[in-house]
Amino acid sequence: MSDSEHLLEVNDLHVEFRLRDGIAKAINGVSFYLDERETLAILGESGSGKSVTAQAIMGILDSPPGFVTGGEVLFQGTDLEKLSPKARAKYRGPKLSMIFQDALSSLNPVFPVGWQIAEMFRVHQHMNRSDALAKAITLMEKVKIPAAKERVRAYPHQFSGGMRQRIMIAMAIALDPWLLIADEPTTALDVTVQAQIMDLLKELQEESGMGLILITHDLGVVASVADRIAVMYAGRIVESSDIRPLYANPLHPYTKGLLESVPRLDQKGQDLLAIGGLPPNLLAMPAGCPFNPRCRYAFDKCRAGEPPASEEIEPGRTAACYLAGRLEGAHA
Amino acid sequence: MGKYIIRRVLQMIPVLLGTTFLIYLLVFLLPGDPTDGRCGQRPCSPEYVASFRAEYNLDKPFIVQYLLYLGKLLHGDLGTNFYGNTVVSELAVRYPVTLKLAVMAIIIEAVVGIAAGVAAGMRKGKFVDNLITITTLVLISIPVFVIGSLAQLVLGVKWHIFPVTSTNGTFDQLILPAIVLAALNVAYAARLTRTSLVENLRADYVRTAKAKGLSALRTVGIHTLRNSLIPVITYIGASFGSLLGGAIVTERIFNVNGVGSFLFRSINTQDGVSVVGTVVVLVFVYLVVNLLVDILYGVLDPRMSRD
Repeated sequence: MSDSEHLLEVNDLHVEFRLRDGIAKAINGVSFYLDERETLAILGESGSGKSVTAQAIMGILDSPPGFVTGGEVLFQGTDLEKLSPKARAKYRGPKLSMIFQDALSSLNPVFPVGWQIAEMFRVHQHMNRSDALAKAITLMEKVKIPAAKERVRAYPHQFSGGMRQRIMIAMAIALDPWLLIADEPTTALDVTVQAQIMDLLKELQEESGMGLILITHDLGVVASVADRIAVMYAGRIVESSDIRPLYANPLHPYTKGLLESVPRLDQKGQDLLAIGGLPPNLLAMPAGCPFNPRCRYAFDKCRAGEPPASEEIEPGRTAACYLAGRLEGAHA
Repeated sequence: MGKYIIRRVLQMIPVLLGTTFLIYLLVFLLPGDPTDGRCGQRPCSPEYVASFRAEYNLDKPFIVQYLLYLGKLLHGDLGTNFYGNTVVSELAVRYPVTLKLAVMAIIIEAVVGIAAGVAAGMRKGKFVDNLITITTLVLISIPVFVIGSLAQLVLGVKWHIFPVTSTNGTFDQLILPAIVLAALNVAYAARLTRTSLVENLRADYVRTAKAKGLSALRTVGIHTLRNSLIPVITYIGASFGSLLGGAIVTERIFNVNGVGSFLFRSINTQDGVSVVGTVVVLVFVYLVVNLLVDILYGVLDPRMSRD
């Protein structure tokens, strides 16, 4: 691997869902990269395509109806899209790994948690039953599950929500992956437990140096852990930026709207500014910029033709908006 | 778990009392008299009728008859029928045949039903799925006596593949009745398997299994199937319970000398003792099988475990 190569590089990814009602273009030319030890947050509303992006990278899209119709997913220089399904499955676990939002439904209800963790070693490393189970206990201790040895034979429903997510994490990091994708890992959890899970992920990342993609719709979670952020809207990355400048000076009206809709302690008593309207129907996208019907800055150019292309506005910051960087002076 | 089983066994007592009482009452209320036709073409002499009624307590009021019967039942005596044979000995001859038939049918049901259901569920909306769905619909729609008689005619009489009827309940004689007996349950088991598999294939844990890098075979064969088969195995277990009650129609068509035909003949000949005795045994077996199925359910689905 040469120095200039990223751990993960996604170039112009396109995904569509071939549904009975038509073709839903879920991902339309998404590009980003991630390095080792780095955390990228992918932020967006439900239906913006952030989970689909993650599943496409993993190669676990439900197909049909989901199809990757273009682009490349370079992992350490290898285009995963060009691999056979079998070869690609071998990447999942030892190289890239994923955890999901709802750990209760994402763990198999009829197998003990230890068995499910041990399965990683048994399938990928052909380890025998007892060695794999011993490894599972070690992992459960690593993710700080109390009394791991006694609980290794317990079933998912016998754990609390936070503990179940820890088990998911233990399973995902079992084979020391280079990349971990966390798809809304804390959404289903209490606020205090959310912080514990985020701390755990951060700690594991510092220890192993893996890259972390954090998919979320929670700006609060992002601020504390991410290095960079990619904001998605209607299957496109509308803004990507290092974390600090984004909060100080959002380039895209959508990002600005998201930031304004977060309650803040120093602005108590003021009305929250919600973004009006709904995300577009993927089966019937508006002409021009997909955000234009909800955008208070939109002008004629935004409502026709192709969506604005993503351009570098400042070093390390890109946005897909004709007014990027000039929002303050623009006529709202 | 122990407490649960004890509670379930205790619950059987009122059920058994209720069923014996009902059956006893129904048999008591049957029109006609068991001595009819016992003395050839002429009516029986009053002396014979009197002694017959005394021997079987038929001269006593209903409730006394019932209590006397219960008393004997508690000692494991199912009674002696009007032909002088104990019900226990009558059942000892026939139950093994019914059991053999039920086991054969349940194996066919489990193997064919699950295989067909998995084949359909994996190819949802494709040709195989439609073929299996339509076939099962046909099987469910046709009454068993039609399937039975058709199978007998085509496979037995015309093509000579299987014996037409059963004379002594050997394995080869029971294959065709077992297939006919299983046909309806195969259809239900296949549909249940298909639905359950399709539903589970959409579950989040299947996506996790893929994310773990497991092969498609392992994802479906171990993770999905283990979950999908919980309702199917429960259904098959429960249907085994009813198969053990004997299949009156199928046993009659193929002349199988099992509990079903015995019960049918006993009802026809007004042999009340045999009817009540047999039904008591059948109800008991049904209750025990259902208890076993419920225990099995707890084993298959840890969320339902009563520990």
